[in-house]
Amino acid sequence: MATKRIVVDPITRIEGHLRVEAVVENGVITDAYSSGMMVRGLEIILRGRDPRDAWAFAQRACGVCTTIHALTSVRTVEDALGITVPKNAELIRNIMEAVLYVHDHVVHFYHLHALDWVDVVSALKADPGETSKIAQSISSWPKSSKGYFSDVRNRVQHFVDSGQLGIFANGYWGHKQMKLPPEVNLLAVAHYLEALEWQKEIVKVHAIFGGKNPHPNYLVGGMPCSINLNEVNAINNERLNFVGRLIKEANLFVNQVYIPDLIAIAGFYKDWGAIGGGLENYLSYGDFPTRGYNQPAAFKYPRGIVLDRNLNEVHEVDSSDPQQIREYIKHSWYNYSVGDDEALHPWRGETELNYTGPKPPFEHLDVTQKYSWIKTPRWRDKPMEVGPLSRMLVAYASGVPEVKSLVNDTLKRLNVPVGALFSTLGRTAARGLESILAAQWMQEFYDDLITNIKAGDTATFTRDKWEPSTWPESCQGVGMSEAPRGALAHFIRINDGAIENYQMVVPTTWNASPRDPAGRMSAFEASLIGTPVADIDQPLEIIRTIHSFDPCLACSVH
Amino acid sequence: MPEKMPTMREAIESKGYSRRDFLRYCSAAAAIVGLESLGIPKVVRAFETKPRPPVIWLHFQECTCCSESFIRSTHPIVADVIFDYLSLDYTETLMAPSGFQAEKSYKDTITKYAGQYILLIEGSVPAGNDGVYCMIGGRSAESILQEAAKDAAAVIAWGSCASNGCVQSAKPNPTNATPIHKLIDKPVVKVPGCPPIADVMTGVITHLLVFGSTPELDSQGRPKEFYSRRVHDTCYRRPYYDAGLFVESFDDENARKGYCLYKVGCRGPVTYNACAVTRWNGGVSYPIQSGHGCLGCSENGYWDNGPFYQHLASFPGFGVESTADTIGTTVGIGAAAGVTAHAVATNIRKRKLIQKLKSESAELKEDSNEGGNN
Amino acid sequence: MTAEQKALYNRVYVWEFPVRLYHWLNGITVTLLIISGFLIGNPIRLFYANEAYQQYWFGTVRFIHFVSAYIFFFNFLVRIYWGFVGNTFARWSNFIPLKKKQWREIGQVLKVDILLADPSERMSVGHNSLAGFVYFLTFLAFAFQSLTGFALYSANSTSFFPRLFTWVIPLFGGDMAVRQWHHVFMWFFIVFIIIHLYLVFYHDYIEGRGTTSSMVGGWKFEKDEDLKNSND
Ligand code: HEM
Ligand code: HEM
Ligand code: NFV
Ligand code: SF4
Ligand code: SF4
Ligand code: F3S
Ligand SMILES: [Mg+2]
Repeated sequence: MATKRIVVDPITRIEGHLRVEAVVENGVITDAYSSGMMVRGLEIILRGRDPRDAWAFAQRACGVCTTIHALTSVRTVEDALGITVPKNAELIRNIMEAVLYVHDHVVHFYHLHALDWVDVVSALKADPGETSKIAQSISSWPKSSKGYFSDVRNRVQHFVDSGQLGIFANGYWGHKQMKLPPEVNLLAVAHYLEALEWQKEIVKVHAIFGGKNPHPNYLVGGMPCSINLNEVNAINNERLNFVGRLIKEANLFVNQVYIPDLIAIAGFYKDWGAIGGGLENYLSYGDFPTRGYNQPAAFKYPRGIVLDRNLNEVHEVDSSDPQQIREYIKHSWYNYSVGDDEALHPWRGETELNYTGPKPPFEHLDVTQKYSWIKTPRWRDKPMEVGPLSRMLVAYASGVPEVKSLVNDTLKRLNVPVGALFSTLGRTAARGLESILAAQWMQEFYDDLITNIKAGDTATFTRDKWEPSTWPESCQGVGMSEAPRGALAHFIRINDGAIENYQMVVPTTWNASPRDPAGRMSAFEASLIGTPVADIDQPLEIIRTIHSFDPCLACSVH
Repeated sequence: MPEKMPTMREAIESKGYSRRDFLRYCSAAAAIVGLESLGIPKVVRAFETKPRPPVIWLHFQECTCCSESFIRSTHPIVADVIFDYLSLDYTETLMAPSGFQAEKSYKDTITKYAGQYILLIEGSVPAGNDGVYCMIGGRSAESILQEAAKDAAAVIAWGSCASNGCVQSAKPNPTNATPIHKLIDKPVVKVPGCPPIADVMTGVITHLLVFGSTPELDSQGRPKEFYSRRVHDTCYRRPYYDAGLFVESFDDENARKGYCLYKVGCRGPVTYNACAVTRWNGGVSYPIQSGHGCLGCSENGYWDNGPFYQHLASFPGFGVESTADTIGTTVGIGAAAGVTAHAVATNIRKRKLIQKLKSESAELKEDSNEGGNN
Repeated sequence: MTAEQKALYNRVYVWEFPVRLYHWLNGITVTLLIISGFLIGNPIRLFYANEAYQQYWFGTVRFIHFVSAYIFFFNFLVRIYWGFVGNTFARWSNFIPLKKKQWREIGQVLKVDILLADPSERMSVGHNSLAGFVYFLTFLAFAFQSLTGFALYSANSTSFFPRLFTWVIPLFGGDMAVRQWHHVFMWFFIVFIIIHLYLVFYHDYIEGRGTTSSMVGGWKFEKDEDLKNSND
C-alpha cells in the first residue's frame, strides 16, 4: 500500500468541529494533524465586562461539559478577589461537578463512543435469550429478561426495515474491526436506549441547585440557591431528598450498567490496550476540594504531573508560575505582539484572530503553516495529555488508596498489564473507573451537606467581596478544575472593576492542539501515530482513538 | 409494537381521516414553507412513502447545549423522537459515520428529499471573511447553510445562537456571528433560549409533525405556544414582586424566604420564555426557583444587557457599574448646581439690576410727566 | 399721548384655559410618573416583616404609574390638537424656529440666560423662541416616553390600546433595551423640570411680566408699545 493522506472532517460524535488529516503508509498512520475549525472569540468578548458575570460567558464555551467553565470561572474570580466560599457552597459545587462527570461519561460511552465498537446491525442477529444470560451474568440490573431484549431487537428490526436509518445510516457496520458477538451488540444497543433515558434524570441535580441544565447558574462567592428547611421556596428537605434519590440511582446505573458493559466490551478489544498511547506526560490540576479550594492537599483528586510514564514520581504544577504553563500560536490562526515563535503565560495571554489558511472550499490544510484555531499549551515546554486517564495516573502515582485499588482490580479483571493504561483502551476505561468514584463521592458530599445543615450551617454565599468598592484597584487570579475532559484553567486580570484580560486553557486545548514551534505534537496527533488503518475509506480506527479523548472543540477554541 | 411502522398516511388514515384529509394535511405541511406550488406533490409523496420526515441538523458556531438540551426531553422522550417521529439523517453530535460517510448522509438527504426535509440549525454563522471562522469538511458554514436551506421544507433555528447570535455575537462580535434569519430568505422558526427548554424543542418539532403546520409565530418568528409570555408574568414569585418584597442580596433573609429577585438583576420582566410554566428538566425547576435571577437568555442581545446583577444595563463607556441612574444623578446634580450658580450670579447683579430698573421706571415716569410718548 | 395717564402695562390673555389645564395636568402626571418610575427602577426596602398577602405597595406604585401614564398621554394628545386650533401663543409655529426672527431671539435669550446680559429687545409675549424650541424637544421626549412606556405596558396588557405599541419592542431589539431607554429619559424630565422651574422664576424676575402667574390665570403683562409692535 502506498502513502496516502486521508482527511476526516467532520469528526462526528464529539462536540464541535474537529478535522484530522493523517498520512497512512502501508496501513499504518505515520503522521497526523488535528485542527479545530471553529472560533467564537469568547476571550475577546469577555474583556471589559463585570468579573461577576464572567461565569455565564465562560460557561457558554460548552454545553456538553456545561457547569465546569462556570465553576472554574467563579473560582478564578474568587482567587483574584480573595473570596472563600461557605462550606455548603463547596459541597454543592462538588456534587454538581460529580454529577457532570457521571452524566458526561455515560453519554460519551454510550452515545458518542459506543458506535466505534458496537455494530448495531449485527445486534439484529442476536439471540435475546443469550443476551439475557450474558446480562444476568455480569450484572444484577433488573432489566435483563429475554423478553426485554427481544423487544429491543424488534424495535431495532422495525427501525432498520423502515429503510430510514437516520443517525445510523452509513455507519461502519460490518467493519472487520467490529469484534463483538451479536448478543453483546444487542446488550449495548439496549443500554444505548436506556442510557439515553437515564441521562436526563441525573442532571436534575443541576436543575435543583442551578435552576436548569444545560447551563445551570453559579455565583461568585458561593451558590445562588439558598437553603431553608422552613421554606418551600428554597432548598428544603424535599429538594434534598430528590437529590439523594438521584445520587442513589446514579450509583446504581454506573455500577450495574455502565461498568459491566465497559468491562464486557473491553474484553473483546484488549488489542486496543496497545494502541493510541501517544504522549508520555500526564497533567492533572486535581479537584473536589474538601477543605477549601486553597488546600489542594485535601482534594479528592491530587494535583500533579507524571512525566515519561514514570508512576513513581509526581511533579508539582503551579499555574501562576509564568514559566510553567504557556501557550504557543506558531501553528494557530492568531497573532502575538511578541512574535509567533513565543509562548505567553495566560495572564499575559493575547487573543487576536488571524486566519492565514486556505480559502474555503479546500481539500487540504497547509500543515507546515498555521492550521488550527486551537492554541498550543505547554508545561515547561512539554506537551501534556489531560483527562480521566491523567487523573487516574496522577492519583495512582500519588498513592490515593481508592484509586490504586480500583485500577489494580480492573487490570486484574481484564487481565492486562499496567502498560495497557497508556492507550486508547486505557482512556476509555479510566473514564468508567472515574465514574465509579464520582458517583461514590457524590454520595459522600451529599452526606456531608446534610450533616452540615443539621449542624445549623445553611450559608451558601458570602457577601464579603461582592461590591466592587471592596476590590483592589487591580488584581489577578487563576481558577483550576478537573473538567470531565481534563485539566482546565481560567486566568483573569481585573482592573478598575472590569475584566482586563481573560484567558482559558482548556482540556481539549491541551489534547487537540497543533504542534509547537519545536515541532512537538500534542496528544491527539501523537496518539494517532502508529495506529493501523484496515480500510482507508473507513477511518474507524482514527475515530476510535480520537473518541477515547472525548474531544470537545467548542471548549478547545472558545 | 406494530408489525410494520405505519407511514404518515397510514397513521393518519388509521385515525379515521380520509385521503382528502391527508392531502389537506400535506398542503398545510407544505404551506409552512410557502412552497405550496412546488412542494405539495413532493410532500404528499414523502408522507405516503416515507414513514418519518427526514431531518438534517446542522451545527455551526455553537456550544452544543441545544443538542444536549434536546436529549433531555421528557415528553416525548428523545429516543421516541429520533427513532419513531422523524428520521434524523444528519447531526454531527450523534450520527454514527464521520468524514466522507457523514457527508454522504447529508448529501443523500438533501438530494433524495429535496423540498421535503426539515432543516434544524444550531449555532450562528460567521458571515463574511470567506467564512473562515467556521468550516466543516473544508467548506464554510455559510455555504453549507445556503445549500441546505435551498430545498428545505422548513427551517428551525435552535437556541439563541441560531435565533439571535447569542454569546459569540456579543460586543465586539469578533467573528461577525450572524443569526440564520439574516442569511437566508426563507421563513425561520426561532426557538431562542440558551439553550431552549428540551420539551419546548420537541414541542415545536412535534407540532410540525402532528398538526402538520408550524405553530403560530409572533412578529419575531417565535412560536406563540412557548414565547408569548414573559417569565415574569408566570413567575411563582410574582406575588412578592407586587408586594414589594425583594431579595436585597444573595442568601439574605429574603432570599431564604424566596422573595422576588428583581433587585438582584432578574431579567424575567423583559424576557419571553416558557421557563416559569414548563420549567426545566422535566418540570424540576427553573433559574428563579433555584435562587438566581433570569439572565434573559432567550432575548436578543442579552449578553450586552449586563452586568447581570444590576436592574439596569451598564452605560457603554462609563465603566461596568454605571447605570442610567449614575449618569442621570450626575447630570441632575449638575443642572441643580448650574441653576444655583446662576441664581447666585443673578443675585450679585441684583443691586445693579434693581438700580437700573429703578432709573428706568424713573425715566418712564419723567417721560409720562412730560406727556410724551411716541 | 394725552396728559391723562395710561397704564404702562397691559394685560394680555396668553394661555387659554386648555393650555393651562394641559400644563398643570402635565406637570402633576409627569411628577407622579417620575416618582413612581424611579421607584419601579429602584424599589426601596419596605415592610419586610410582612407577608405578600398583607401588602401590595409595589403593585400600587406601578398602578399609579400606569394611571398617570394614561392621563399624561391623552392630555398630551389634547395639547397636540390645541397646537392646531388654539390662539397664536399655543400654535406650533411658536415651537419650531423656522423664521430668522426666532433665531435672533434665541440668540438674545441665550445672552440673557447664560451671559446674564440685560434684555435689549423685547421678548415674545408667549414663549420666547428658545423656550418654545425646548418645549418642542420636550414634546418629542413626551412622544418617545409614551411609545416606550406603552410598549413596555403592552406586555402587561391584553387590551387593545397598549397592544398598538408592540411593534416598538423589536425596533429597540427587546424589552430590556426599551426599559433602558424609558428609564434614561426619566432623567431628561428631571433635568428639564429643574431648569424649567428656575427659568420661569428667573424670567419673571428679569422681564417683570408675571410669567409665573401667567400659567395660573392666563394673563401676562406687556408694555403698550411692545404690544403694538407685536406680531406674535
Ligand atoms: C414622563 C413620563 C415618564 C417617566 C419619567 C417614566 C419613568 C419610568 C421609569 C423610571 C420607569 C422604571 C424603568 C425601570 O428601571 O424599570 C418606568 C417604568 C415603566 N413605565 Fe414609565 N415613565 C413615563 C411615562 C410612561 C408612560 C406614558 C407609560 C405608558 C404606559 C409608561 C409605562 C411604564 C411601564 C409599563 C413601565 C415598566 C413597569 C414595570 O416594570 O412593570 N411610562 N417609567
Ligand atoms: C411650579 C411649577 C411650574 C410652573 C410655575 C410652571 C410655569 C410655566 C410657565 C410660566 C410656562 C410658560 C413659559 C413660557 O414659555 O413663558 C410653562 C410652560 C410649560 N411648562 Fe411649566 N411650570 C411648572 C411646572 C412644570 C412641570 C412639572 C412640567 C413638566 C414637565 C412643565 C412643563 C411645561 C411645558 C411642556 C410648557 C410649555 C407649555 C405649552 O406651551 O403647552 N412645567 N410652565
Ligand atoms: N475540553 C473540554 Fe470541556 C470538558 N470536559 C472543558 O473544560 O468539554 Ni466541552
Ligand atoms: S444557544 Fe446557547 S445553548 Fe444553544 S448552542 Fe448557543 S450558546 Fe449553546
Ligand atoms: S423573580 Fe424575576 S420573574 Fe419572578 S417576579 Fe421577581 S422579577 Fe419577576
Ligand atoms: S435565563 Fe433563560 S432559562 Fe429561562 S428563566 Fe431566564 S429565560
Ligand atoms: Mg484560550
